[in-house]
Amino acid sequence: MIWNETKECMSRDELHNLQSARLKKMVSRVYHNVEFYRKKMQQMGIEPGDIKDIDDLVKLPFTTKNDLRENYPFGLFAVPQSEVVRIHASSGTTGKATVVGYTRRDIEIWQECVARVLAMDGVGPQDKIQVAYGYGLFTGGLGLHYGAETIGATVVPMSTGNTQRLITMMEDFGATAIACTPSYLLHIAETLEEAGKIDNIKLKAAICGAEPWTDNMRKEIEEKLHLKAYDIYGLSEILGPGVAADCEYHTGLHVYEDHFVPEIIHPETLEPCKEGEVGELVFTTITKEALPLLRYRTKDLTSISYDKCECGRTLARISRFKGRSDDMLIIRGVNVFPSQVEAALLELGETSPHYLLIVDRINNLDYLEVQVEVEERFFSDEIKELENLTKKISHVLHSALGLSVKVKLVEPKTIARSEGKAKRVIDKRKLI
Amino acid sequence: MIKQLSVFVQNEIGSLAGVTSVLKDNNINLRAIASFDTPEFAILRIVVDQPEKAKSLLSEHGFAVKMSEAVAVELIDKPGALDGMLHVIADAGLGVNYIYSIVVREGKVPLMIINTEDLPKTAAVLREKGYTVAEQEDIKS
Repeated sequence: MIWNETKECMSRDELHNLQSARLKKMVSRVYHNVEFYRKKMQQMGIEPGDIKDIDDLVKLPFTTKNDLRENYPFGLFAVPQSEVVRIHASSGTTGKATVVGYTRRDIEIWQECVARVLAMDGVGPQDKIQVAYGYGLFTGGLGLHYGAETIGATVVPMSTGNTQRLITMMEDFGATAIACTPSYLLHIAETLEEAGKIDNIKLKAAICGAEPWTDNMRKEIEEKLHLKAYDIYGLSEILGPGVAADCEYHTGLHVYEDHFVPEIIHPETLEPCKEGEVGELVFTTITKEALPLLRYRTKDLTSISYDKCECGRTLARISRFKGRSDDMLIIRGVNVFPSQVEAALLELGETSPHYLLIVDRINNLDYLEVQVEVEERFFSDEIKELENLTKKISHVLHSALGLSVKVKLVEPKTIARSEGKAKRVIDKRKLI
Repeated sequence: MIKQLSVFVQNEIGSLAGVTSVLKDNNINLRAIASFDTPEFAILRIVVDQPEKAKSLLSEHGFAVKMSEAVAVELIDKPGALDGMLHVIADAGLGVNYIYSIVVREGKVPLMIINTEDLPKTAAVLREKGYTVAEQEDIKS
């Protein structure tokens, strides 16, 4: 079902006009309300009046995660705090979280976007959906929750962390849809298989996202659970889940361009890429009130197509992600920057700051091992002291990353020091 | 009191040999060796004839090494000898962290190397009961 046919199927010309009108308003709003953008635009010699239509987007300054960090927590907000009804946060590159805010209207748009995704995935008022993304500061849980309520589905807010309870309720309630990370869904499928319960399950749709996955993983999920699995994409800086999603043809993720205007750029030259060429995905929000962002660099690598989809939607499609232009990892749906590990180790100050992250997927669950070099001046000759050190490191990394971590102490100078960019990560998961 | 070296090694093939080859290449004589392991790593404890030299060589080779003292007590080679010694320590209210031995001493009796939370007190109570506590010079050759 197409939730909002007017918007999702509008002609490219109409969309062009809508985006142009919205961009003009948005640029004027950020210029007058956000000092950061006003200064940037003044430095570049641009005024709101220079932006006449959506093609003028390229004249505007970029925004990065670092800009959000430097303006932590609310420096880029464009409305008074009294208009902000919700805050979410995700991990920053070093220590400080990336904080995002929403007005009531922003929340409504978010609900609308997730409703479009769910309708596209065949979910409606007749469905019972288990939302098994984390609830809380992470946008996954609440984002899907509100969208599912908007379409009138019965929402079961599972959150994460208790697979047995999830399975029991899935069986007892006769859940027909689930929203969670694809790796977790595979884990659920295997747990169901082992318990011989796979035939008791009535799931027909799965809305998977928050981490990269392959088409093969989708097919595996679909075969094991006899359902249709769909990809949902989002990032808290722009909205949360619901920025883009794929339809039953799985030929890329439709971007809700009436709210978020995508561009693909060369990550180094920052010049626009041609249609179909792989580059970094950049978004400009054209309706956001609390945290409007100009040309936000997502660091996700993908390509774009503006062809009309077989499903009837005219919205541009971005391809499955081809990686990142930075070193961010997504582990169990949690964004992890290697620099966070370094910052936490330096703050603890009881080891050398040399570390190696080893990411693996065992039984469809991601595992993160952090190898840390023992430093002679902190080396105790007592095993219990070394075990305490291991525990202490696990604890600080757990609070820094929001993820449980296996810590392995290694001998000094055994982690390779390469000239230039150090090899800090070994990812054995082969997701792309 | 004698000097021992503790070396951090990973539980990996060849990790102990990595330590011993540094000692061999520099003509350092090993008197005792003991390894205490966990699933992930081990602490290798050694007594050598030239502890300061061995410490700096191992550090240069990138090992995390700590030099510390331990009590070395002569042990008469007869049944119950160790039992008697351990009772002296326990009766003094001292806990043994670890214990290992130097057996080969060219005609001399074996030495037990003991670590407790209070080394001077351990040495004193043992001496009081007539045990011979060895010094670094005693293990030179």
